[in-house]
Amino acid sequence: MTSPSPPAVGLTPPLAPRQAPRLSLRGRRIEGLRLVCWAASGLTAATLLGLLALLAVQSLPVWRHEGVRGFLLGDVWFYRGQRFGALPMIYGTTVVAGIALLLAAPLGLGAAVFTAEGISGRARLAVKGAIELLAGVPSVVYGLLGVLVLRDLVFRALRPFDPLSGDTLLTGGVLLAVMILPTVMTFADDALRGVAASQRQAARALGLTRTETTLRVVLPQALPGLLAAVLLGLGRALGETIAVFLVVGRMDNRLPESWLDPTPVAAAGQTLTSKLGGSETFLAYGDPLHWAAITGLALVLLLGVATVTLGGVSLAARGASGSASRSSRGSAVPSSGGGPDASLA
Amino acid sequence: MHWRCRKNRTSKLLTSLATGAVFASFVLLSLVLVSCSGTSEPGEGRAGGALRVNGSTTVNPVVARAAEALRAEEGMEILVDTQGGSSGGISALGDGRIDVAMSSRPLNGHDHERYPDTRFHPVTLGYDAVALTVSRDVWEGGVRSLSRDQVRGLYEGEIVNWKEVGGPDRNVVFFNKEPGRGTWEVFANWLYGSADDAPLVELPEVGSNQEGRSKVGSTPGAVTQLSAAWADGETVFALALVLDDGIVVAPTADHIADDGYPMSRPLMVITDGEPGPQARRLLDFLLASRGQALVAEAGYLPLDTLARNEVARESPAQEGSAQEDPAP
Repeated sequence: MTSPSPPAVGLTPPLAPRQAPRLSLRGRRIEGLRLVCWAASGLTAATLLGLLALLAVQSLPVWRHEGVRGFLLGDVWFYRGQRFGALPMIYGTTVVAGIALLLAAPLGLGAAVFTAEGISGRARLAVKGAIELLAGVPSVVYGLLGVLVLRDLVFRALRPFDPLSGDTLLTGGVLLAVMILPTVMTFADDALRGVAASQRQAARALGLTRTETTLRVVLPQALPGLLAAVLLGLGRALGETIAVFLVVGRMDNRLPESWLDPTPVAAAGQTLTSKLGGSETFLAYGDPLHWAAITGLALVLLLGVATVTLGGVSLAARGASGSASRSSRGSAVPSSGGGPDASLA
Repeated sequence: MHWRCRKNRTSKLLTSLATGAVFASFVLLSLVLVSCSGTSEPGEGRAGGALRVNGSTTVNPVVARAAEALRAEEGMEILVDTQGGSSGGISALGDGRIDVAMSSRPLNGHDHERYPDTRFHPVTLGYDAVALTVSRDVWEGGVRSLSRDQVRGLYEGEIVNWKEVGGPDRNVVFFNKEPGRGTWEVFANWLYGSADDAPLVELPEVGSNQEGRSKVGSTPGAVTQLSAAWADGETVFALALVLDDGIVVAPTADHIADDGYPMSRPLMVITDGEPGPQARRLLDFLLASRGQALVAEAGYLPLDTLARNEVARESPAQEGSAQEDPAP
């Protein structure tokens, strides 16, 4: 993944601040390389900042028109009446991503414990490979499977509640769960494998069973990494568009009577992404206020995804540097210290 | 750059940070520049490359097959897309992002208001109707026609069960065509006089004709606005309308041709100003016999089957030759 030569350390400066290069050896060449690397990471960060700035500027008219509170908490979106409230879509996104996490987190973490602790060698590679393959399936394929299979299944499962169709927030959530499962599982597996082997050996030497070792020693140490895995999965769930678009129903302005009322979950809804993916984006183009409202939604979405992902990455970095500082795992698992961030690079 | 600061890590860090900041501002600037230039300059890039077509999924089958033929026979480069439906195509044309827009609704005042510099040049290819189409269980349950009041009741959520309009005891699932789609605009114009007066409704939405047909076909109690030609009579069924004077008209070719069916509409391709040479070739193909055969094949009405007064249309066909012999 990364080149083994010492200068490569500089490739991920924000994630590995402790591993500053030993300056006494290479002098200027390393300095130059460092500069390039800093520039490269600066460029990456600037892309995000630029995007945020762009969306903020373009969405300015709607913040003026509705007010920050009015836009974020407004419960009516009706562009012909120039009313732009984003809350139903924020609600839809939250519900869909929440359902996805509820389903994918236990499954993904369980699978990760199994692959990291339960099996080894070829079997591990086979299981892990199969799950990681899921991550490579294009989301539109998931969407089509959702339309073909999941809609009917959900429709039938919800029949006691008399749903109108199989296009519901629940359908979107279940579909997303399948999609983020490999993300959660892979990162969690990396976090678990990142726990030093010596810790396990010590635990076994003290007479703990394998289960006890996993529960009492490995899991607590891998906790930040596991949380990171869940957060990164959540980040993907929040931003996923086309698959959700196809099965969520795209019904505007659906909010529950009270925050505990679950009925809208079994009905059609709208997420930030399904709104942005719809034809209203094209309609809005050319009308400054309407366009601002659309870019406002994009800004909210980007901020949400960025917050969650940054949280995940920083947790992952903490977990990785924590276990790396304790002791290295030795030659048994190459590149385990990198953990999730290594695969992120 | 010779900076000897090996002992001083802080200053080195600062230098690196400064470099990063310079890069950051550079990227920021270029992003802003790109965003500014993206919205201006309509008509740019139209000279070279492929002919870019975008818009209505209703018009698409005809144009896509014409494009196939032109690609195969004349080696023409044509890209046909259906992003955002009719309004998406019209706004893309107004912004100069495409060369030809496909539309299943007439141009309206908003289009001209929004793109005052664009000289919309519409050419009508044929005619079609918007039908209210229902799933099999509704059709077999006895619903064959609806009045305007009934349609309004269904659309606004006042009628929630099909038995209220003489159908089976089943919930109404109205899949609303996305606003901005030609089909929706024609529907809203008929129901409310103007699409601007359409009220806020809470309905699940569908986009393309394919999506509308498959969702209605697979959902009991479903209804949607759909191009009449796409109602296959196997999974989705087109309802007739009961006019205000009590006459029942189905969206058949005859009733579209004699203007008896209220939600009929022209299918158009639109260029900005006179069509360029490539667009001209596409238009000629579409208006000649082979193109018109494609119109008929897709289930729409070719121009020569039309027996009505063209002047009544907002956008009359530009090619007089195509409609010399009206035969219902």
